[in-house]
Amino acid sequence: METQTNTALDEIRQRRELAEQMGGEQQVKRQHSNGRLTARERIELLADPDSFHETGYLGGHGVYENDKLVSFTPKGEVVGSCDVDGRLIFLHAGDFTVRGGSATAGDHGALGMESSVVVRAKEWRVPFVRLLDGAGGSVRGFLELGRTYLPDGNSFTQHDVELLQHVPVVSAILGPVAGLPAIDGCMCHFNVMVRGTSHLFPGGPPVVKAALGLDVTKEELGGAEMHTRTSGSVNNIAEDEQDAIRQVKQFLSYLPSSVDEVPQRHDPRAPRLDAAVLRDLVPENKRQPFDVRKLIDAVTDEESFFEISRDYGRSRVTGLARVDGYSVGIMANNPRQQGGATDPAAGKKAMHLIQLCDQFHLPLVTFPDEPGFMVGKDAELAGIERAGAELVWTTCRSRMPWITFVVRRIFGVGGQVHHRPTGMFRRFAWPSAQWGSMHISGGTSAAFKSDIANAADPEAKRREIESAMEAIASPFRTAEVTLQDIIDPAETRDLLVRFVHEAQRVLTTQVGPPATPFRP
Amino acid sequence: MAQKVAAEMTANVWKILVKVGDRVEPDQELAILESMKMEIPVMSEGHGTVDSIAVQEGDAVREGDLLIIIDS
Repeated sequence: METQTNTALDEIRQRRELAEQMGGEQQVKRQHSNGRLTARERIELLADPDSFHETGYLGGHGVYENDKLVSFTPKGEVVGSCDVDGRLIFLHAGDFTVRGGSATAGDHGALGMESSVVVRAKEWRVPFVRLLDGAGGSVRGFLELGRTYLPDGNSFTQHDVELLQHVPVVSAILGPVAGLPAIDGCMCHFNVMVRGTSHLFPGGPPVVKAALGLDVTKEELGGAEMHTRTSGSVNNIAEDEQDAIRQVKQFLSYLPSSVDEVPQRHDPRAPRLDAAVLRDLVPENKRQPFDVRKLIDAVTDEESFFEISRDYGRSRVTGLARVDGYSVGIMANNPRQQGGATDPAAGKKAMHLIQLCDQFHLPLVTFPDEPGFMVGKDAELAGIERAGAELVWTTCRSRMPWITFVVRRIFGVGGQVHHRPTGMFRRFAWPSAQWGSMHISGGTSAAFKSDIANAADPEAKRREIESAMEAIASPFRTAEVTLQDIIDPAETRDLLVRFVHEAQRVLTTQVGPPATPFRP
Repeated sequence: MAQKVAAEMTANVWKILVKVGDRVEPDQELAILESMKMEIPVMSEGHGTVDSIAVQEGDAVREGDLLIIIDS
């Protein structure tokens, strides 16, 4: 029997099918032959089985003949909510198969419009994930509208800006992403892009050609290698889309669903390496580097370290990990890169991690071997002084519990940013520690310039002063006065576990929006 | 195929440990750079023969500068 309900149910079914066809068979095939998955396939990878709940699938553009729907183009996005490892998230996936994922002004702001998934993520207090694939506004949209428009994207981007202060936001860049979506790609706490098949720029090679007359490939202009190594606009590179989604899930696993909670504890695990290896980690020769990732493996739960921005600002290693099942932020100088000196890129990484820990209530664990801020013309040209001021500012403004183990050198203002005089802060030093307002060699030449120059044998004078300085450089002499605790490196893991447990009480008093807003 | 070994950072070339024609193994130290008072080894990625050396001890190098070419 044909009833009104049956007809309506048929229409729901029919329209759902039309939405699921996305841009049509041809376009889906083309997406696959370009080595990319469709928006729906990506969601399948991200979501726990059968947990995706789509919203707004009726959205799109219908063509009617005699009041009958004859064709339908879905909107260029798939949105909704799902569970990821048992926790609710909201997501937005750009659909490149529909008009190359480009939006038009008509896609937003209609009267009676349902609230966006961005607003819902904030109100529901759950993480938000963007699976980006597609450009922003296209001039084709002008033709459809029959007019142009003011670029008032902030009318909806304001919600993305606000969202950053409340819940974890992650962007995966999975195709050519330009215009406003490219900004969304970086308006987040973590982003990842796929090697070879994803690109990020305000405008692609044709736009560059038109504006500057320059020929440039999309890989040179906005490829994953460039953005994760040189520009730093993207944190991590992924080998394929599966890897990108895996990284998104892993990143989220360390964080609470919102700033109003502390992270969930996972099953504790022993570190992969025995803490005793730390006794032999720092070489006798002070000029030789050591493997800082080995140090991290000996103090964090086995296989729990998730490195962030490995290829950028390489003189620092930053990431998230677990200690006895609790989430922590990890930061260490890498003496194999520029001797571990902090340059503007390394400083940006440090600030990003400090902000993350501060906002999402993770204790920060740091292992300085800091020769100081990077010196030289390149560092000056890159703005090391202002970068240094920002790092000092971010350090002093932070509140999260912080424990630091001085592994070796801690010099100058670069060393100063491994310390915070307020809040729950604990510092231990290894016997290999050396410190001061400046390195003795180098510092001596500067401070005793005229004594050295006026000596009969300047080189001998310099060595004499240096050896007198070395003699008083033992960290134990400092400890007599400052009460600094110096420990057996093999105790590091146990002291760390103890601190992370003690920190939980303080973290619960810090829930809520951060005292200092998170900046992307 | 040639393996181009480049400097990963601004540094001075402190020591070159191979000469043209030497056979090298993976993870062998080819040279030592000095940066921020730290001796930073430059390692070979694979097997091969040293084809040419683009720098001399004492040279200043920047990130990306070619150091050594290895023929494999």
